[in-house]
Amino acid sequence: MIYFDNVTKVYENETVALDNVNLGIESGEFVFLVGQSGSGKSTMIRLLLKEMEPSAGTIRVNGLKLSGISRREVPVHRRNIGCVFQDFKLLPNKTAAENVAYAMEVTGQKRRTVRTKVPQILDLVGLSSKMDKYPGQLSGGEQQRVSVARAFVSQPPILIADEPTGNLDPDTSVGIMQLLHRINRIGTTVLVATHDREMVDVMRKRVVALENGRVVRDMVRGGYTNE
Amino acid sequence: MNNLGFFLREAFKNMRLNALMSATAITTTAICILILGAGMLVSAHVQGALFRVSQDVEINAFFPEGVSDEEIEQTRSSVEGYPEVERVTYVSKDEALERYKEIFAESPDLYEGLPTDALPASLEVQLYDSSDSDAVASKLEAEGTFEDLRYPQQTIERVNEFVGYVTWAMRGATALFLVASVLLIFNTIRLSIFARRKEIEVMKLVGASDSFVRTPFVLEGLVQGLIGAAIAALVVLWANSAFVSWAQEQIPYFAVSSSAVNIPFMLLVLLGVGVVVGIVGSYLSVRRFMKI
Repeated sequence: MIYFDNVTKVYENETVALDNVNLGIESGEFVFLVGQSGSGKSTMIRLLLKEMEPSAGTIRVNGLKLSGISRREVPVHRRNIGCVFQDFKLLPNKTAAENVAYAMEVTGQKRRTVRTKVPQILDLVGLSSKMDKYPGQLSGGEQQRVSVARAFVSQPPILIADEPTGNLDPDTSVGIMQLLHRINRIGTTVLVATHDREMVDVMRKRVVALENGRVVRDMVRGGYTNE
Repeated sequence: MNNLGFFLREAFKNMRLNALMSATAITTTAICILILGAGMLVSAHVQGALFRVSQDVEINAFFPEGVSDEEIEQTRSSVEGYPEVERVTYVSKDEALERYKEIFAESPDLYEGLPTDALPASLEVQLYDSSDSDAVASKLEAEGTFEDLRYPQQTIERVNEFVGYVTWAMRGATALFLVASVLLIFNTIRLSIFARRKEIEVMKLVGASDSFVRTPFVLEGLVQGLIGAAIAALVVLWANSAFVSWAQEQIPYFAVSSSAVNIPFMLLVLLGVGVVVGIVGSYLSVRRFMKI
């Protein structure tokens, strides 16, 4: 589903963010990407979204080489990847329901489909009572659930979460992780970049550890650290 | 196009939610277009007045003593046939005296005792374009029936020269206003979109295509430009009619006329500038934040 082949990314200020990374993630996997800030997690995600190009190597997503996707086709590529961010990235001028609806509207779905689907998905994340609230009126955990709902509403084959619990308290974090776990169980490939040690240790999923832009560990049922 | 409803709803909703920014953009547009419109008005009226002054210039061609009515009639119809001539008026000896008396009505001693045929009969020749006066004068001379021609050639030349300068000065000033307006409106739109660059980024991250992100912004720019320009256009129209009626009452010797302003053309320019600047401004501004 997602393949990094000898991928290197050097930023303009000559920081080496990724150093010859090789990684394969199969369809339906749940993978934690762990490592300290600056280890290269976010760089990998930004490369996957084609926000920028690798300096060397190839990335394949869903059978397509990213380097072969033209600028014009990038939006279509991104619709295959649901995204959840640490800072939620909700549209402040839209209600919870409208934020979720927007992700469907960009794909040109019919209004009727949007109208039936949005309440369903918000119900699924437990926010049916707060559909008409604006992000500013929601707690961090609630905002993140809206963000998960938005990422998943079009049922993309891949869901990526970049530090989804970074701004949340432990209890709220568990709720978000359970949500991601449920999404994974229905067949979605889920990639979660995090340094939430407890969460990784509890979930016992595949763990890929990055250090200074290199993959230093890849365990099928791993914890945050080796022990 | 089946998205048009969605885009329009988005545009109007965004305008409502960003009311302050929208108001700023509309006000800026209105003020700029108002200045532009005022410039166009002044330019049109100055040119109109000068044009009418230059049009009032006429050639007086005097007949000699003892010319026959037949000759007068012949000459008159010949002159009327000149392509440059708009109107020919025959002034008989009696009429000439009447006019003279009218002009000097205050001092009757100037005309009392004058014989009725003291003043010569003449043709008053009005031209379409005063710059033809030299050519027409030589034709009139060639007729051979006139004793004397009188026309203010130097005045005509000066007036025409002056009209030329003023026209160019006005066009230059209008062009400057236009450039200044465009830049100012652009800048306001850029600021309002800059304030929403995060939104644009998020839209792109959830897979919106460039045009999907851009269209509501562009529609918003269009509507704001149109509203701003419409407000300005109304003010300009009102100012124009107020000025014309004031001038006709208070300074009748200046040939101010409502016909000097081509109102449909001016409205078209003002609204067009508003709309185009709104559209282009938002298009370019959004584009800067979409490179993601």
